[in-house]
Amino acid sequence: MFHLKIAMMAIRGLRQNLLRTMLATLGVVIGVGAVVSAVSILEGAEKEILGKVESLGADRVLIFNGSDKKSHRAVQVSSLLPEDAEKITDENPKLIKSVSPQYNGGGQTKYFQKNVSGSILGTTESYADINDYQIAQGRFITREHIRGSAMVCVLGHKVARDLFGELPAIGKNVKVNGKSFAVIGIMEERGAIGFVEVDNQIIIPVTTAMGRMFGARYVTMLVAQCESAELVPACIDGIKKTLRESHRIRAGEDEDFQVFTQDQFKQQLGQVALIFGVVLYSIAGISIVVGAIGIMNIMLVSVTERTREIGVRIAVGARRWDILKQFLTEASIISCLGGAMGVVCGWAMANFLSKFTQVFKVYTPPMIIVLALVMAAVVGIISGIYPAIRAARLDPVQALRYE
Amino acid sequence: MRTTRVDRRSHAPQIAIYRSAFMIQTENLHKHYHMGESVVHALDGVDVSIKPGEFVSLTGASGSGKSTLMHLMGCLDRPTSGILRFDGEILGSLPDKQLAMIRNQRIGFVFQTFNLINRTSALENVLVPLVYTRKNFSRKIARDALERVGLGKRASHKPSEMSGGECQRVAIARAIVNNPKLLLADEPTGNLDTRTGEQIMGIFHDLHAAGMTIILVTHEMEVAAQADRMIQMRDGKVVEDTAINAGRREEMLGSAQHSQQRMLREKAPPAQSPLTGTLAPNPEPRT
Repeated sequence: MFHLKIAMMAIRGLRQNLLRTMLATLGVVIGVGAVVSAVSILEGAEKEILGKVESLGADRVLIFNGSDKKSHRAVQVSSLLPEDAEKITDENPKLIKSVSPQYNGGGQTKYFQKNVSGSILGTTESYADINDYQIAQGRFITREHIRGSAMVCVLGHKVARDLFGELPAIGKNVKVNGKSFAVIGIMEERGAIGFVEVDNQIIIPVTTAMGRMFGARYVTMLVAQCESAELVPACIDGIKKTLRESHRIRAGEDEDFQVFTQDQFKQQLGQVALIFGVVLYSIAGISIVVGAIGIMNIMLVSVTERTREIGVRIAVGARRWDILKQFLTEASIISCLGGAMGVVCGWAMANFLSKFTQVFKVYTPPMIIVLALVMAAVVGIISGIYPAIRAARLDPVQALRYE
Repeated sequence: MRTTRVDRRSHAPQIAIYRSAFMIQTENLHKHYHMGESVVHALDGVDVSIKPGEFVSLTGASGSGKSTLMHLMGCLDRPTSGILRFDGEILGSLPDKQLAMIRNQRIGFVFQTFNLINRTSALENVLVPLVYTRKNFSRKIARDALERVGLGKRASHKPSEMSGGECQRVAIARAIVNNPKLLLADEPTGNLDTRTGEQIMGIFHDLHAAGMTIILVTHEMEVAAQADRMIQMRDGKVVEDTAINAGRREEMLGSAQHSQQRMLREKAPPAQSPLTGTLAPNPEPRT
């Protein structure tokens, strides 16, 4: 009850100079707001990228061209052949379910006047199964298409809609980079697999892509699906063994390919997020320190200005502790109020930026809200303690004479 | 043995409202301040005793130590040496916490500059001591106190909306809200015009009549003359301690008028000498 009255007194003290209180609060609002919006954006981005990484699947192994050691050669080596896919599957029968080679290119797809630019993926029949990516209409490319370098294509959901609208597309011919392809199927709506927006992609046989379209010798990457996620380390060993033999790499020599798993991506992502986190948190931390200095400044002014009031309070029976509590409460109210407003402002700011730029999604973890409020309270106490001690240590006789 | 013990108990003093025959009792009270290198003897061996129910005026020139004595009596400061008893208790040995309680419940302060908390209502100002009593209270107590000083209808007004006299009455209400035994007033009429000052003195007389002990610090003789006893101080010592009877009161008021007239003469523009054009010398040298 007594503490409630002290708190009421503190609130009354703050209301006496509302503008100053608001200005002192502003520092904390900005500080906490910066923390909350920074964390929201960072967490949102991390969550989104993590979602993409996870859409790859925990049982996938990605094999890229080039060495993972720092290469002394200026040019990245390309080494992966489409045949490597089959070799890996054949030599590791109990470990690897299937491997799909992928050749990524880009280009224009035309159907009469409609024109769509998107990515072109040359791959094999196993691509759909590996990614659990279902066909919506027609059928997927087959082993025969691959063998014959057939001029057939399967359209991503968005490509099909953009080119054909509601009209039937199967059996029609589209021009991909000026070459005529027969549409044999349309994929389901899926969004993204890994970092690729598959709805905006055209799938053609890998042989067609490399031979007839782009004239390439090496594939962009191989995607292997293991029998299970637990077997991934064994699969990596198997893949490396097969590829070293196939590429005739002697013992002790560096590999000319890199193997990635979902976990490795996650680790890399974590490192990047950490760097961003350190930068953002230090900026936010600085603004909170500035806010704390603001509160301390205001409280010192307030104590000086109210010296006589403090003298009177002591004269009518306030203990030094009561004076301390009153001023500490004032500082805490300023900072907690600022903290609460900062949480709201930070959240609103992050969401506004997300809506406005459309680049990233935001996620505000509930923990950060609690943390921000606790931090605000701590800031209030730390910045209020010195002015409060000064107030409590005033000599009442001097204070009552103060002009 | 048994009987003597019972006897002792029966002879124990009756505990009345006052624990001691004296409200305030000082013995060889000293207060020194350090001002840089030098030591100021604000109080230099003061012995006074004030009984419950007395109305005492404490006078003296500025720097005579009257304010220091008041601050010591009001538990706002501690003596350098000597003994100060408040209602029988020796104050020097009490912890801060207990001094705060004495200030809160047994002493009321009235100041020259009112010292109200601005921008809060009169009622809120009067409530301040009740908060520090640490007990539940009803706002009615504060309202009653305002009623006693004739401000019942102005309870919600802020000090900035009140006249000086009204502010001082709010301050008195604040001082008496906890029903203290001792009221200490430091130049309570110093910032007021004569008529308002008289009204304030009227309130003090009423409170005195109701049994309150009042110590009034002032340097105005008209004000000092209204008390029943005057203690005059100079250089940290008590130089006069007399009861004020009718004759003495006349004498004090007379000297007050005299000094007032003198002050008026001094303030008047100096007459110019028609012959020399220089300033005429002061008709009466300053003393």
